[in-house]
Order: sequence, then structure tokens, then C-alpha cells
Amino acid sequence: MSPSFGRGAMTNSWSDLQNAEVFLIGGSNCAENHPIAMHWINRAREKGAKVIVVDPRFTRTASKADIFAQIRPGTDIAYLGAIINYLLANKLYDAQYVLNYTNALLKVSPDFKFEAGLFSGFDPKTNKYGVDTWSYQLGPDQKPLKAETLDDPDTVFSKLKEHYSRYSFETAEKISGIPAAKLKMIADVVAKAKPMTVLYALGMTQHTTGVQGIRAYAVMQLLLGNIGKAGGGINALRGEPNVQGSTDMANLFNNLPGYLPAPISTDKTLRDYLVRNGSIQEKPLVALLKAWFGDQANKDNDWGFAFLPKLNPATNATMVKVFELMEKGQFKLLFNIGSNSLVSIPNRQLVRSALTKLDMMVISDLFEVETAQFWREPGVNPADIQTEVIMFPAAFVYEKEGSLTNSSRWIQWKDAAIKPLGEAKPDLDMLDALFKKVRRLYAGSTAAKDAPILKARWNYGEEPQALKVLQELNGYDERTGKLLPTLADYLKAPVGSVSTGCWIYAGVTGNGNLAARRGNTDPSGLGLFNNWSFAWPGNIRILYNRASCDLNGQPVDPKRKLIWWDAAKNLWVGNDGPDVVDKTKAPDTPEGKLAFRMNPEGVGRLFAAKYMSGLPQTPPADSLPVIGIRPAGLCVDGPLPEFYEPIESPTVNLLHPLVSQNPAALILSGSPGIQKRGKPEDFPYVLTTYGVVEHFCAGGVTRNIPWLNELMPEPFVEISKNLAQKVGVKEGDKVEVSSARGKVTVYCLVTDRLQTYQVNGKDTETIGMPWSWGFASLSPGPSTNELTIAALDPGAGTPEYKVCLVNLRRA
Amino acid sequence: MARKTVFVDTSKCTGCKACTVACKEWNELPAEKTHLVTSYQTMKDFTPNTWTYLTFIEKYQNNTMDWYMRKAQCFHCAEPACLKACSSAAIHKTDSGYVVIDQDKCIGCGYCVENCPFGVPKVDEVRKKAYKCTGCIDRVENNLTPACVQTCQPGALEYGERDTLLPKAKARLEQVKKEHAQARLYGETEMGGTTFLYLLFDSPDVYGLPNNPTMPLSLSLWQDFVRPVGTFAVGGAAAAVVVGVLGNLFKGRYSSGSEKRDLSDGSEQEKGGKR
Repeated sequence: MSPSFGRGAMTNSWSDLQNAEVFLIGGSNCAENHPIAMHWINRAREKGAKVIVVDPRFTRTASKADIFAQIRPGTDIAYLGAIINYLLANKLYDAQYVLNYTNALLKVSPDFKFEAGLFSGFDPKTNKYGVDTWSYQLGPDQKPLKAETLDDPDTVFSKLKEHYSRYSFETAEKISGIPAAKLKMIADVVAKAKPMTVLYALGMTQHTTGVQGIRAYAVMQLLLGNIGKAGGGINALRGEPNVQGSTDMANLFNNLPGYLPAPISTDKTLRDYLVRNGSIQEKPLVALLKAWFGDQANKDNDWGFAFLPKLNPATNATMVKVFELMEKGQFKLLFNIGSNSLVSIPNRQLVRSALTKLDMMVISDLFEVETAQFWREPGVNPADIQTEVIMFPAAFVYEKEGSLTNSSRWIQWKDAAIKPLGEAKPDLDMLDALFKKVRRLYAGSTAAKDAPILKARWNYGEEPQALKVLQELNGYDERTGKLLPTLADYLKAPVGSVSTGCWIYAGVTGNGNLAARRGNTDPSGLGLFNNWSFAWPGNIRILYNRASCDLNGQPVDPKRKLIWWDAAKNLWVGNDGPDVVDKTKAPDTPEGKLAFRMNPEGVGRLFAAKYMSGLPQTPPADSLPVIGIRPAGLCVDGPLPEFYEPIESPTVNLLHPLVSQNPAALILSGSPGIQKRGKPEDFPYVLTTYGVVEHFCAGGVTRNIPWLNELMPEPFVEISKNLAQKVGVKEGDKVEVSSARGKVTVYCLVTDRLQTYQVNGKDTETIGMPWSWGFASLSPGPSTNELTIAALDPGAGTPEYKVCLVNLRRA
Repeated sequence: MARKTVFVDTSKCTGCKACTVACKEWNELPAEKTHLVTSYQTMKDFTPNTWTYLTFIEKYQNNTMDWYMRKAQCFHCAEPACLKACSSAAIHKTDSGYVVIDQDKCIGCGYCVENCPFGVPKVDEVRKKAYKCTGCIDRVENNLTPACVQTCQPGALEYGERDTLLPKAKARLEQVKKEHAQARLYGETEMGGTTFLYLLFDSPDVYGLPNNPTMPLSLSLWQDFVRPVGTFAVGGAAAAVVVGVLGNLFKGRYSSGSEKRDLSDGSEQEKGGKR
């Protein structure tokens, strides 16, 4: 999303789903994993909206669909590419939108190429791309050259057309197993009924082509003009109640809070950091340092830039990589808070082996989850394990106050309903006590490495209060010590005069705790609920809503008016907060036209080009590296989405057999004994894994709740009737499912909800397994991640849980 | 109190089973040991501790998959067979349309179990009491909605006055029928009109429900002839013996009459037997 629109967040909101005319639900089983979505989808259905579900299985979501297409897991880009091709070839795109709000007219560098499955710049030694050729042709003003018409052969639009011309419905059918006629039917619905919204979740991201799959949605939605509009958008349904919040707080290893890029080892000074990331990051980074270090971060010490840890960019320390390094003995201590890695990480053998290499593991959880008792898993001899394990009892969500940020970017405050039971403590209390204790231990140290610990501004109270944390995120005017009232106050303040722990949260507690607001009126009837909690940024409910207006600043959809230009007041106004550069800039001004203000080009990016805005026209006299204003977000594996087969696939890539898989995919390779790869001859069936509504994630909580266990008492494998007949099993039998990495025995469900399909003329079977079980809890069962493969998307580091190859036989 | 209704719109139900948990939580019912029965269904039938559960019916024809999910619980009939059958006058019907078992009066004789055309009440053999969905009478009499309705996220359950909800249900049916010609309401007239009113995608027997649920014939005999005479002549206990005999006589009819014993979960029981 970020390389396309400028922000890595769901564009619309749960309650906006009621405004859609069509839903394309691909890679989300929202009825099971985000039940609240169906509340709003059902409202839209009542008004006549149509639902398209594309999924490897006929899910509970699919049971509510008007059109269902069973897809081979991991082939989404093939069918989306075909839809994009159809839209382009038949001029079914929104021409005004494409011309004005996307980079379609910008000219691409002549050095950019795509040949035989590889984009230009690939280095086969490192399996990485150099991105220099994925750029624009720049004018003397260092701005991208703009063509007169879309047909100019150099334009993004022409490149897009050429790239997707290879994707016919017939080709997509051969790859995905979805009949071409059904694909055309979907494309026709998608092209005609507007607005259409896209819903996706882990079904789309848990692939070695995860980021590019989302990019394909972005390209399609930009062509259709569906971004920035009520009932449109791309809705990334976040897994847990606070996944959005934790991502805002930098749970991705290469971020700092507020989506600031993390500094890397070559950033010796703030200036080095700004050369790479643009001057736009100066204020938020300095404000963050002020929030963390107060007066200890000042102009004289480079705003405390040296206090920040620096990443080694070669390591790419995603979750799986951490376990890989742990397995190699690089960690002494693991502090594991609320994660049940032994159930949830792909290729369990990796985690099982890695945990034994630790000196100590501290685990904070409600229950003694599988990870906490890895040392006594059946088959493991506790005497062989040297790792010391310490368990902290954690308070449950209802036992602690604080805020949760949902998929709609609503920061919602909640009070503690009851006091924690027994010795359990809220995370904040635990971390506060731990930090204070550690700081005491470091007292008096003069070592530079200890400075961040000693100089941190840590003042959440004797008894820490969550509201003080939220206030730190909101930010203060450091000159007066007062909370920043709004985002605008942060934006207009000079660098270094304000602090914010997460600049996008500015305004959340500036005028009272707005996260605690519960105004449930909806005057516009569009589900905006502006007085319910606080949405970042600046209480804007639908991102990029400038794109819902025409060039004159008037809403293009009279039934769904979000914002408009009020010529009498000389101001952008509306039902929603206007997502514009400056509310006083008229729609015909250069700033007033920009619908995607977080992108350096100010437009939506069909082609994710390398670009930095604001570079000087002539090299500076001091010969220092220049600092631009804002860099574009990049995808490390290509500026345009391209279909690649999963790492374990039953077939070769029909488009380019020699580059079958994503060439940049990260595949755990340092432990060949652990990470074996299966061949279709030995493991002929495609396994896809998922959650069920009755259990939550790794089941650490839900498998200890008897009322949920009776709803889904055991793990299972779902197979088609054809496959059941072929291998001679019937419903209720126990079957053994095996991959190159492990095997499990589970209950067999035989169902019509999975059908045999054809891949390039060959009968193919998908089988499905939920993954929420482990050996502990009130409802133990085998873990499906015994089978999965640790292969990761190169951009996001998300593992390919959704596809691997397996065999199946009667147990 | 005006007649109430819970409109169960199965076209909106996503089979999330939250209603089952809400029911158990409010009524403080313990979990039971279950297994997968068929599809995603894990509860075979009502029990003294399970008053509502989800049925899952998979139907594949003409290359089209249908997956019907239905919340099962007491229908709360306007003409309840259980009430008529009750030997101890423990069952009564409220003005709002609720059929409620008075646990103080119930002796666990099981006549309600035998006579309910939907197989809803179940006797706890230890406590010697019959149990079933109360309709959350304790909530609705305190201006709360039933627990299942309160928790339903997809909005498949709606609680309100029958006069309001019946026209709404009919309007929704017209809409659903455009795509599902076989869709219908169930409970508008069945058993005198049931408090739980369903919108079904297909005919009731597809869901394992009786197409034409009726009051068992033996029950009419018992209620209208035997009991008045027996009570008058020899007292209640003897009358119960009489009805036991009669019950056995008619039992053959129950089992062979497909509609009467073909409970909501009939098909699943058969499949469940494999385990």
C-alpha cells in the first residue's frame, strides 16, 4: 500500500463497507477471521451490493458470495493481471482519474526493462535488485517528465499495458484454475459497478509475492478510480485487535514509530539519515528523539541521533530470521511477550531447535503456552535442554487500560474492567519495572552504549499510567510542556520545538482524551462516525479523500460526498476531514490537486518508481550528498506486480519457466537439515493453512476456553471428494499429512467445498488445514506449521504459510 | 406485553457460533465434550446443557456450492406441543410468545421431549428436569435483548415485536428470492406461528426440519380426553400410566412419520454415527 498510495494502512474503515456496491474479497475470510466485517457487508448486501469471493476454499465468507471462484493458492497476481489487462485493453478504466490522480502520464527511464521474468537490475549473486533503472525520466528541474498523452510509448501507462498484455484470461485460467469465463464475468462486474472495495488479509500477504499481490490490487483500484472514495478503497483487515496499533508503533523491524524508516549502520549522523530518507523525515525523527530523550536530545548532540540503534541492512531481521539467527546461537535471551512462536512460526523444527540454543527465555503470557513448555513437548527430553525458562503471568486485555488501534485507524481507549487476577501484571507495569531496574544497574556508567538507557525520558509515573504513554505519542510543545492540541500544531512547529512519540497520533489527546470519545451519531449516513474515538491522521476517516472530488473540487459521487471545496469560504470542507496538503489551497492550485500527498509525485503510483522529490537542480557547492524532500516507497522485487509460482509449487511458471519463483524471495537456507524442499513427484498436493472463527491465532488463549473448544474441538484436514476417493479415505478417518519437513495426523473432512481443478491441463488438488493447535492447553492437537516452509516475501518478510506441497494417506 | 419475535435471517448468518457461546455464558451452562460431526458442525443435538447450536448443511449441484448455516434452538411455538404434553403443568406460555419451563414444577417425565416436533427439550437424567432455550426471558423482561441476538455480529438475528418484524422478514424474503427462488419463511404459520421466525434458503427438510410440523395425535388424545377423565376419576398418577401406554402405541407412528422424528439434526446424527 505504501509504495502505491503513500501510507501503509487500510484506506477506508469497517463502517464504510456499507457504502460499497461490489466487494472483491480475495485473500480474506472475513466472516471467520474478522466477523465484524460481515455486519457492514450485510448492510451493503441488503442494499443490493454484490459480493465476489476468490479463495482456495469455499469458506464461510464464500457462503455469502454472489460469485465464488476457487483459486490455486498463490496465483492471485495471474488473475488480477488478467483483469488489469482487460481493463486496459478495453478502455474500462476511469480516464479522468488515471490522468489526474495517478502517475500514468509520467515517463519511465529507457533503461527499465522486463525480460524473461526478470526486471532490470537483478544481481544473481545476491538475489537482489538494484533499483536505479526503475526510475522516471527527469527534467532539468529534477521532476519527472510528463507525456502529453497516455499513448506515448515512454509513459507508465504504456509500460503497464505492455507488461500485462501477456496476461489473458486463458493464461490466467491455466495458472490459477479459475475458468476464463468466470474471470471475464468477475472483470465485467468489477469494471461496471462502482464503488468497489477490496478486502484482503493474510490470504494475500502470506506468500513470497505478498507485497506484489497487494500492489496488483492497488493498480486495479487506481485504474478503476476507486481509491479515496466512500465504499471503495483497499481494506487490509488487520489480524488482531491491535495489529494496526502495533504496526503504528513499529513492530516491523525496519520502522520506527509512525512509519519512520529505521536508521541503518551507515547513517553516522542525522544528515546521513536524511540523505537517504529525505528532509521530510527530519521533523518526525527529531520529535521522536525529543519524546524519548527530552532535553538530552538537542541541536548540539545531533538531536541524540547517536542514541538510536542502527540496523544492519544485510540482516533483514524479520521474525523468521530472528529464529534462524537464534538457531545459529546468536541470542542468549529471548523475551517472548504474547507470542506463541512454537505454534505460529513456519517450519516448527526451526523454532524447536532455536529455543534450545538460548541461555534463558522469559515468557509473558496468560497461559503456559506451547512455547513456554517447549522443553517438555512429547518426544523431547527435558534433561537435554539447557535453556532456563521464566514465566511472567500477564494481565488479560480486560484487566488493563490503554488504547487499541483498529483496522480503521481508530485509536480507541478502554478502561480496565477488572483488576488483574493473582500476580498478573499489565505489560506496561512489567516493562516499566524492568526498565527502572535495568537503569539502576547501569547507573554511573559512562560507556556510550549505555547512554540511551541512562538518558531516556521515562516518566510514566511511579505507578505507570497508560494515558501518559498515549500523551507522549500525541506529543508536547517542548517549549511550554503543553500537549500538542492538533496535528496541525505539530506540522507548523519548528524542528526540535516539539516532541511526539508517534507523529501520526498527534491530536489524539491534545484536547482531552479523544480516543475515549463514544459519540455514535453519523450525520452524513456514510458511517464516518467522526466523534467516535480518534482516527489517525488528524481524524481523517477515509484516506486520500481528495480523490473523491473532480478537478473543481466537487464530489464525483453525489450519493457519497466526503469532502468538497467551498469557494465562498476558500476552504476544503466536508463530512470527513479533508486529506489535502493545505485546506486553504484551491483545487486548481498545484497543491490543491494532489490526491496522494504522501507520495513524492502527489499521485497514486501505478508504477512504483524510484524517485526523490525536491532534489536541487545543480549539485551543491559543498559537494556533500544532497538531501531531497520525500522519497518514494519502493518494492524490492519490482515496480510492477508480476506472477511468480510459490516456492513449493506443483508446476512451473507458464509465463517464464526459467524464472519460475520470485527471484528475490528470502528462503531460509542456512539450515539445510531443517529446511528441506519438496518436489511435486513426492508431495503432489497443495496445502493451504488458515484460522477458523472458533479459535484465535495460535490458540494460546482460545484453546483454554472450554466454550470455544466445544465449538471446534480438534484440528482437521479438508479434502475434496475426488481426493478422498483417490487415496481411499472417508470423512472421520484419521489421515497423515506430510511435507518434506514433517508430518501430522489429523481428522479428515471430505467436502464439496474443495473441488479438483486444472492447472495447465493437469488435475490438481488443494487441501486445507487450520493451524491453531499445539501439544499443550485444554485442547491439544498437532501443529500444522510442522509442514509449512520458511520462505519469505522479500519486502515484508511474511512467510509463505499459504502454500506448500504435501502428501496425504490414511493414518 | 405484545408478541415478540426473533427473526433469524440465515442469508446473513456466517456460522460463527458466537450465539452458542453467548447462550452458554448468560445461562451459565458448561461446555461439553464434542467432536466434528459433519462439515463444521460439532454439536449433534440439543442437550440439557446445550440450548442452541449451529447446523451446517453442504449442498453441491450444477457446479454451485451452497453452505447453509442455521442456528437451532426452541422455536417457542404459539401452539406448543410440549406445553400440552407436560404432565406437571410446568410449561407455560407468556403473552410475549415465550414457552418457558418452570424448573420448580418440572419432574423430568420427558413427555415434552417425546412430543416436541423439533426435538428441542432434553431431560437431565440426574437432576430429573427438562431443559431448553428460555428465550432469555430473564433478559427480555428487563428490557435487554436475548443473549444470542445481542452478540450476533453479522446481524442475522433481530429481536422485536412480531408486528414489526414479520413485514420486515417478508420484505427481506422478496429480496433474497431474487437469487434464491426456493427461499421461504418458516415459523410464520407453523405450530401456530413460532417466536423464532426463520428465513431459509431452501425447503425445511433440506435443513433437517419438518416441512409441516404438527401436534402429535396422541397428544390431542391425552390433553383433550384422557387427562380430564383420568384426573377426575383416578388421579394424576394413574393418568400418567395411561398416557405412557398410549405413548408407546403411537411411538411407532412417530418414528416412521419422517417429519416428526426427523429433527433439525437428523441427517447429521446419521453421519455422526461413523465416529
